[in-house]
Amino acid sequence: MQIQFESRYDVSVVIISGSVDSQTAEALLAELIAHVDAGHLQLVADLGGVDYTSSAGLRALLSTVKATRRGGGDLRLSRPTPNVLKVLELSGFTSIMKLYDEVDAAVASFGPATA
Amino acid sequence: MGDAGEFKASSLADLERLVAFVERNCELAGADADSRFALHLAAEEAFINIMQHGYGPGGGPVTVRLQVEDRRITLTLRDQARPFDPTSVPAPDLGADWQQRAVGGLGLHLVQSMMNEVRYESDAGRENVLTLVKDFPDAATRP
Repeated sequence: MQIQFESRYDVSVVIISGSVDSQTAEALLAELIAHVDAGHLQLVADLGGVDYTSSAGLRALLSTVKATRRGGGDLRLSRPTPNVLKVLELSGFTSIMKLYDEVDAAVASFGPATA
Repeated sequence: MGDAGEFKASSLADLERLVAFVERNCELAGADADSRFALHLAAEEAFINIMQHGYGPGGGPVTVRLQVEDRRITLTLRDQARPFDPTSVPAPDLGADWQQRAVGGLGLHLVQSMMNEVRYESDAGRENVLTLVKDFPDAATRP
């Protein structure tokens, strides 16, 4: 699994790729929470390169959603692959998280930049 | 029934090799991509559950057998951890809002959702036997 952050005005795009499983999800969560703690509360996860996730990946996403929303922000998801979308749907995450087909749409959903 | 073999694990660190064993044999059996994904996920969730909640730190022996019969793949996981019936775990509340949603507890729900059958037996308290069954479609009838 690989993680990369990109700034788009006020929004941070987190590009995740590879396999998110019990062995890699902890590193993902640590990176995401460190980013939130550094003051980045508007996050978009680009999941286009994630071919696999287990419940460990869901835990990392939900923990990050909670951390950002408590601070007034959000983690929004974009470009889930069919496997990842299936896991999100079976877990009921599609009703508590915002999902977008494209990264740009997810970034724009946060509204105009304030900085 | 075709027996694709057995995989013996002793700690969490064996996850990667277990997944490779399952993936390779599912592919050899001719399973479609969706079924291979489901079996990969079910193997990981069941294995992690045994190692983390059954044995705890340090792990213990888990034997995974994979059998193929026509278009059915059966994974059997055997361990000697304390008796634990994963099919008795209540389903998570999928309708709860984000504040109320528990961060854990989804793994077994995913396994139950993605397998055709999930069975648990305790062999006289000596061994936990978890059987996961997945039927996959005939290649000729796939869309």
